Amino acid sequence: MIERWNRDQVLALAPDASSQKAAGTISSPRKWSGTGVTADAVWGECAGSGSKPYRACVDLSEPAYRCTCPSRKFPCKHALGLLLLWSADGVPAAEEVADWVGEWLDGRRDRAARAAEAGATRAARSAEAPPADGRRAALREQRVSAGLSDLERWLADQVRQGLAGARRHDQWDDLVKRLIDAQAPAVAGSLSRLPAALDGDDWPARLLSEYALLHLLCVAHRNLAAPAGEGIGDRAGAGPGGVPEAGPAGLLERVRDRVGFSVTKEEVLAGAVVRDLWDVLGRRDEEHDRLIARRVWLRGRRTGRAALVLSFAPVGQALDASLVTGTTVDADLAFYPGSAPLRAVVAARHDAAPAGPPPGRSIERALDEVAEALAGDPWLDSWPLVLEGVTPAGSGSRLLAGPSGGLPLHPSAGTPWRLVATSGGQPLTVAVEWTPRGLRPLTTWDEEGRVIAL
Amino acid sequence: MNASADWEELVSTALVGTDRRPLPGEGASEVELLGRAAVHTLRMRAGRRPVAPGEPPSLAAPEEQPEVSRAAGDRLARVLGGEQPRLLTEWLETAAGRGYRLSPHLLPELLDHAVRDRSIRPYLGVLAGNRGRWLAGLNPAWGFLLEEVTGVAATGPATGPATGPATDSGPTSQVWEFGTSGDRRVHLGELRAADPARARELLAATWEKEGPDDRAAFLEALTTGLSLEDEPFLEAALDDRRREVRHQAADLLTRLPGSRLALRMAERVARYVTVVGGEIHVDPPVACDSAMERDGIRAKAPRGTGERGWWLQQAVARTPLGVWPRLLGRPPGELVRMKIVDWNREVMAGWVRAAVLQGDPEWALELFAWDPIADLLAALPRDRQEIVAADFVRRHGLDGQLIMVLGGAAAPWGPALATAVLQKIIDVSGTQPWNLGELTKLAGERIDPALHDMAGRLSPEPPIQEVAALLRFRDDMLKELTQ
Repeated sequence: MIERWNRDQVLALAPDASSQKAAGTISSPRKWSGTGVTADAVWGECAGSGSKPYRACVDLSEPAYRCTCPSRKFPCKHALGLLLLWSADGVPAAEEVADWVGEWLDGRRDRAARAAEAGATRAARSAEAPPADGRRAALREQRVSAGLSDLERWLADQVRQGLAGARRHDQWDDLVKRLIDAQAPAVAGSLSRLPAALDGDDWPARLLSEYALLHLLCVAHRNLAAPAGEGIGDRAGAGPGGVPEAGPAGLLERVRDRVGFSVTKEEVLAGAVVRDLWDVLGRRDEEHDRLIARRVWLRGRRTGRAALVLSFAPVGQALDASLVTGTTVDADLAFYPGSAPLRAVVAARHDAAPAGPPPGRSIERALDEVAEALAGDPWLDSWPLVLEGVTPAGSGSRLLAGPSGGLPLHPSAGTPWRLVATSGGQPLTVAVEWTPRGLRPLTTWDEEGRVIAL
Repeated sequence: MNASADWEELVSTALVGTDRRPLPGEGASEVELLGRAAVHTLRMRAGRRPVAPGEPPSLAAPEEQPEVSRAAGDRLARVLGGEQPRLLTEWLETAAGRGYRLSPHLLPELLDHAVRDRSIRPYLGVLAGNRGRWLAGLNPAWGFLLEEVTGVAATGPATGPATGPATDSGPTSQVWEFGTSGDRRVHLGELRAADPARARELLAATWEKEGPDDRAAFLEALTTGLSLEDEPFLEAALDDRRREVRHQAADLLTRLPGSRLALRMAERVARYVTVVGGEIHVDPPVACDSAMERDGIRAKAPRGTGERGWWLQQAVARTPLGVWPRLLGRPPGELVRMKIVDWNREVMAGWVRAAVLQGDPEWALELFAWDPIADLLAALPRDRQEIVAADFVRRHGLDGQLIMVLGGAAAPWGPALATAVLQKIIDVSGTQPWNLGELTKLAGERIDPALHDMAGRLSPEPPIQEVAALLRFRDDMLKELTQ
């Protein structure tokens, strides 16, 4: 039997604040009839404005939602209200699912199986790259190389002329456009985030760091890039013709990822998977250009691996809500290629696993892990950690301290009052996102093991 | 050169530019600088060591109160999240009344709420527990919590080891000497209920040293167990420096028909009011002397009010109601219906004020028919109150006055008043008056939540179902807080 989610966990699935509110109103037991819950599904009928009640059902193992209401929001308020009712212990346990629920669950599982098959075939087909795509790829390689050379020169110019002269937030706009035209979108993205480095007194140091890392990326790409027309993977280990030896395994893929060469989900899914009990540590949504990016951080219990599942949706549309903070999922994860792999997709989910605080690490071991990750990906700016036995400390409680010292929180975190309140001065387990500027608290667990979103 | 100085040097060089300040050595300066800066950046990121955390954080004291159940905490989170926000006070009041404390993670949000809304602070005094007071010590914005009554004192003398029984002399004086204002107020209140004379003596002993706000608040505690024994102390308080204290003392003395103030008032009104030929004739005071002012009559009339009428009304309001039947020779029921020549409004308003101030149910009932206001309804005993209110609801249309009067009917409303109000909602729901929503909310918040089934079965009309849903929500809420 899956452990009941708490209210925060359910509300975190809502696509927006108004859905959260509407779900609250709908979670009244009076509105529901024919409800039931089994090991992996919860369902019920909700009296709406029409004559026929809406039938809502949630497959808890994913979770996946279905409702007969016409709402375009996903999950809709009925599915959320049903989950809230369940989280308040308001849904009776049932031996078997209702007929209509069973039909839907079976249909879904058939479709999932077919999709997996189709994905595998597609991946197999795309492995043999057709020749027409080869010319287009070669053209892109040339454009990217030219764009990055341009950027390398521009960076050198900046340092020659001095950073002091150009403390303007719009100084990168033109450069961003040129790199988009050069088909290096990830570099363009890094440049468009540079204005953030201008805040605060330490801006010269931060800006120099960002420039230096961009310079490093340009150099790495120049040194590692394969000549146009040749297979990429074959070149990683070779180093003829004055090109320096390629770096550690996967570094080429990492560099290409940071430049903006994308790998399709099918290609990722076709690769090896890691099965583990993954603790869902927390998530953050960020809006950029009317597109919301949702980051969900995971860590594996057995492998100790960190993972990031990224999903996107236009503003106002449903984001992937299948990974619930504070739950533990038994799943196969397929990681994107490259050194210090972090980003992953869920390839398959198995049974639900009992939730509870994830195993944590000491601050020292966590720092070692970050250092190792940076060795594989020097451009890394985010890494999920679970710290064990840490206490909010220092002025304004802006440190997380262990027995040997503390790590500062990110300046935007302020005083993490919820964390301070939960701690009461006692050490606890805290999931955080490591960033170069400090830790961002994600989630903690209280004495009873209850998950608390920060 | 150490790493940090080396980095500083790179930053300041980059800031002015290598054109003006080349790096020492050969090769293209700017490329060399960027390369070295990259190495430094990664060294700093990968080589970060823990910093000294300074003073270890203080530890919150262990809790002495039980924590609310998970379900109750989740419901509070729902209310804070905007679902039935008007029920916040009821939740807090109920939980505080049962001596619970909140789950720690809910404290910051509620304390922030109490920064804006003072009315919930007394409940937080109990609910915050030791963790909450520990937090308030860390955040000056939440400092108000330290002035509130603590859970230990409020859970009563039997359970609070720190206060001990209120009649025990040792710990008692400790709370009185060192407690927060709120704790001292509660302590005085408890002692007053147990032993009125001792409470008064305790207060009198430190009276001169108390701040003016505390003096006014402490006097209010004497409402419980008020007797003629308190009269000398209160009479002296009429000369206090602070007006709030003087008025509080005068209000209390008004309730003591044998007090010197009551006698002075009776003497005054006997000069102003007489019965002549079945009519009440009035000759209001022509001046407000210092003796009148000392007895709580304000000399300065509000703008647009005649001075004589203003003084008359206050004198009537501060006269013990028992004086009138003796003075005018008729029972209250007759007096309120007699013709009062020229000064009807002032005398009646004075009586209304007196009935509210002195909490006189007989007068309140008679006056409610003339001036149906919430305060008069509130002065009636509960059973009577419900009958009067239900009757008023049946005879009165849905307007602002109806809603105001219902505000004076103490919750929870029993079946009689509940039925009358729900029937009113059914009657008017067809025409959808603008304040139907307010009546619906009030009904949902005041009716005894155990009546939710009765309400739900009454009618399928949406406003009735809305009331029923709110009652069910409260019923669940209260059950969660009883477990």
